[in-house]
Amino acid sequence: MCSAQEDGLIIGPDDLILITGATGFIGLRVVENLLDRGFRKLRCFARPSSDAARLEAVAKRHHQAQVDVLTGNLLSPEDCNAAAKDAAVIFHLAAGTGQKSFPDAFMNSVVTTRNLLEAALRQQCLRRFVSVSSFAVYSNTQKPKRRLLDESCPVEARPELRGEAYCFAKVKQDEIVSEYGKRFGTPYVIVRPGYVYGPGKPAITSRVGIDTFGIFLHLGGSNKIPFTYVDNCAEAIALAGLKKGVDREVLNVVDDDLPSSRQFLRLYKRNVRRFRSLYVPHFLSYLLCYLWEKYSGWSEGQLEPVFNRKRWHAHWKKTGYSNDKLKARLGWMPRVSMAEGFKRYFESCRDGKRNA
Amino acid sequence: MLKIAIVGCGKIADAHASQIQRIKGCEIVGVCDREPLMARQLYERFPVKQYFGDLTELLGEAKPDVVHITTPPKSHFEIAQLCLERGCHVYVEKPFTLYEEEARRLIALANERKLKITAGHDDQFTHAARRMRTLVQNGFLGGAPVHMESYYCYELERSYAAALLGDKQHWVRRLPGKLLQNVISHGIARIAEYLTSESLEVIAHGFTSPLLKSLGESEIIDELRVIICEKEGTTAYFTFSSQMRPALHQFRVFGKENGVVLDRDHETVIKLRGKRFKSYLEKFLPPAVFSKQYIENLVSNVRAFLAKDFQSKSGMKYLIEGFYRSIVEDGPLPIPYREILLTARIMDAIFEQLNARQLPPRALPAVSIGSAEELRHESAAVHPLGSRPIRAVEGKARVVHLLEDISGGE
Repeated sequence: MCSAQEDGLIIGPDDLILITGATGFIGLRVVENLLDRGFRKLRCFARPSSDAARLEAVAKRHHQAQVDVLTGNLLSPEDCNAAAKDAAVIFHLAAGTGQKSFPDAFMNSVVTTRNLLEAALRQQCLRRFVSVSSFAVYSNTQKPKRRLLDESCPVEARPELRGEAYCFAKVKQDEIVSEYGKRFGTPYVIVRPGYVYGPGKPAITSRVGIDTFGIFLHLGGSNKIPFTYVDNCAEAIALAGLKKGVDREVLNVVDDDLPSSRQFLRLYKRNVRRFRSLYVPHFLSYLLCYLWEKYSGWSEGQLEPVFNRKRWHAHWKKTGYSNDKLKARLGWMPRVSMAEGFKRYFESCRDGKRNA
Repeated sequence: MLKIAIVGCGKIADAHASQIQRIKGCEIVGVCDREPLMARQLYERFPVKQYFGDLTELLGEAKPDVVHITTPPKSHFEIAQLCLERGCHVYVEKPFTLYEEEARRLIALANERKLKITAGHDDQFTHAARRMRTLVQNGFLGGAPVHMESYYCYELERSYAAALLGDKQHWVRRLPGKLLQNVISHGIARIAEYLTSESLEVIAHGFTSPLLKSLGESEIIDELRVIICEKEGTTAYFTFSSQMRPALHQFRVFGKENGVVLDRDHETVIKLRGKRFKSYLEKFLPPAVFSKQYIENLVSNVRAFLAKDFQSKSGMKYLIEGFYRSIVEDGPLPIPYREILLTARIMDAIFEQLNARQLPPRALPAVSIGSAEELRHESAAVHPLGSRPIRAVEGKARVVHLLEDISGGE
């Protein structure tokens, strides 16, 4: 671990750092990472309904540091002002997740981000705003390097047509962050993790397949899945907020040695639980998405357009991923190997199953 | 071309925009939210001409004929009043207003300005609800309803429950009827449609479910049972529950001759035959008759689906269409004003009783059974919402407070 005094960082160990979504799956690890690095003044922002017990446990392990937990709602400008007060770096991880409603996802991602940016602007002491985005924003079409998806790839121009509220909200969140960068000179970095996995998140990503009508439709096949282990991802986010020379950059986060969807599914079944799955070849999944999209349009939304060609391109098209920029610009390396990450993940899934 | 505007760009506004764009002869000329980003996101996702962050700008620039109000309930009255004053017809999402008095004033204003106003009770316009209405209108019940039962249950979504329980400032908590006010009007409106008298008794019993209590909640009432009686007339039970399963959305209406069961979740209407079959036939024939009816319902639903008319909010489309038609043709409204007012009146009476029950014991009115007049006087003095009187029932009607309810026993 590098020390906070290390050259090449934009802040010192006693500068105040704000982390929103600090009790979340990734947020908690970011807090831990920053404390491990020797930062001593952390303000953790969480919703009143959040369970702060694990955060408190992390804070106790680093008793030399000052970890304040501030509860509130980022939809409230007053709460944002209180949160952003004197913050030198803001790690913005809070977001609306798992919401099917576009307005809800938008409000909890974009309006909250705007409020926080406004609050930071008023403070005039912000040195970096780290906005945590997602691979979901990429259209995965018209890529400059054919099958390789990296930071130069285009994002969805019409995210509302993808049928995913999360994608729409994240595209708009990225837009507003870069708009504040252009208009007000807000120093920002956008971090786009792939699929973040690890203990505490038992779901299988839809990039592998979907569980429906009692059978798991395996859609990924030989596609590489852009996994990033939660600790590796937290490390990348922490570095993105600390390292000099990456302002206004976009950084994708994926681990090395990515498995194929088929490999992952085999490992999952072997290590966690057996279940029936049916492989759907790519041409067939594309056709089904196409037909669903057409029917949805023809029937005036009788079936929501949740499956469509845009989503197929983003989720199920054969794609390669790069973390070269992350390594080159931040000096990041995945500390937890894919094998070790899966071992921990499968163990937690088994424990969860036992406790269920 | 009818010019439409939507005020309030949250979740339900999506449903309005989706259904409005399915209706011919109208266009959305503007959307408005006091958070302009929210207005913009709706504008970007639907065929909308302009977006605004200020209502007066919307009314002045877009000049809509009809305004749909999809804001949180607390602002319904003020926004509707302004829109009516500016000459717009108004569609107000449920609950129509916070109090009956506000509903009465809006309707009076609409009448005075020769404008139209309606409430978003779109559940009453689903395919099944319309089939049931036709049956009742054709005399299937054999006269006015004798008794009704309305179940309107609610599966508290984990995320919603967490947000509501965790946030003591959540807008739902600030409604006079809290969670119930935001949810029950569909189920109450079903009863109101078939009530014939203005004079009602309302007996409400509500409590916080053991589940919510275990999560540390004591303010939110999520279990409600209501008895509604017309004087010497129709009676009704209303049930709201967040805990019972299945989470029913059913309406049962019984006349002197026959009954009907409407199931919103399954989109079915089942006729209940009043006359019995002879002897053992009563055990064999009804199951066969019910099977036939369920198959007919299945066919009807499949037909609607194939005709691309089975959207989850298709009831809203019929209500909006009916409302627009009444404006264009100056015809009858899809929901009579009387029904909107009765719904508001019953809800007022329910919340008044529930709120009185939540008062500290010493401040409670010492009433076990009393007149509405008595209740008004007594509860006005101690009402937790301040000086605004909540009207329970009018005239000779009686409100019954069960003493054990008031004292907080469950």
